Amino acid sequence: MAVNQERSWLWKKIGFWFVPAKSEKLGPEEWAKVLKRSHPAKQRTRRLLTLSWLPVLAFEIGVNLRMVRLDPWAGLMSAAFLTLLLGLMVRALRIGFAEVSLEDRAVMEYGAEFDALKAKQRGEVFQRAVRDRIFGRVKIDEHEAVLRLRAQGAAYRLLAPALVVFVTAYWAACLFGPFEVTRSALAVTAVVVTWLAALVLAAPTMIRMWTQPDEPEETAAVRE
Amino acid sequence: MYKSTVSLHNRIAVLRAERKLSRLTLALSVGVNPQTIGFLERGDYTPSLELAFKIAEHFGLPVEAVFSPRPFRTLSEQVYELHKREA
Repeated sequence: MAVNQERSWLWKKIGFWFVPAKSEKLGPEEWAKVLKRSHPAKQRTRRLLTLSWLPVLAFEIGVNLRMVRLDPWAGLMSAAFLTLLLGLMVRALRIGFAEVSLEDRAVMEYGAEFDALKAKQRGEVFQRAVRDRIFGRVKIDEHEAVLRLRAQGAAYRLLAPALVVFVTAYWAACLFGPFEVTRSALAVTAVVVTWLAALVLAAPTMIRMWTQPDEPEETAAVRE
Repeated sequence: MYKSTVSLHNRIAVLRAERKLSRLTLALSVGVNPQTIGFLERGDYTPSLELAFKIAEHFGLPVEAVFSPRPFRTLSEQVYELHKREA
């Protein structure tokens, strides 16, 4: 099962009341639509969603910058709120990747095809699928772990040069920008940013230095 | 990240069809997500040794009967050849 059988506290306490089942009211055509939507999105759709997320992110950053100009505390609050929203979205996407279709759930939970279930049972399957989407936990099997590791590796390879460009641009802005009064204060932040970037870039090698086991020696039988 | 250039071929789809076994049942039996079985069958994912042995064990076959670095010949070809040899 893609999403763990073990439910979180939130799922047990709140999730049950959260999603109402209106299964009896749905006709075959509506169920067909529900089933179609329960299937994981195709790669093309996912890529389009990823691209459409970029302007949303730009808008969020814009809102955040406007808020911080009005009041630093309001800026902090809006940054916290928007990153929380982003975190929840990332979590929902992660769960979505590992979610099984309603047909599979029907077989798993009732041992029968989805179409063969009674309206109430279909509703229960749907209800549990929705709850798992909101409160579930993803089971990380080896394939999921490999995909995550690859995605993290790709993200790091993209971010590492971007970080170098960012630090260079930051220094250039600090030294040559129109900030006569605040230049020295900005230069302090530039130093902090530089060392944070250096730490991020050096971290994988440092972690490897710490974790890599000693090279095993050749066995005595082969040496002799 | 290192990516193997050798793709591992497998007979999981054929074995499943032969035994009328759903992806879900196999996935639950070997302890992976049902999607992983789909990716394995499509050749998009090379399993760990542990998973390969688990799958072979589930079908009651040696691991080389389920996985191979070379493409498998079709079962019909193999059966025909076996019959020809016996005759």
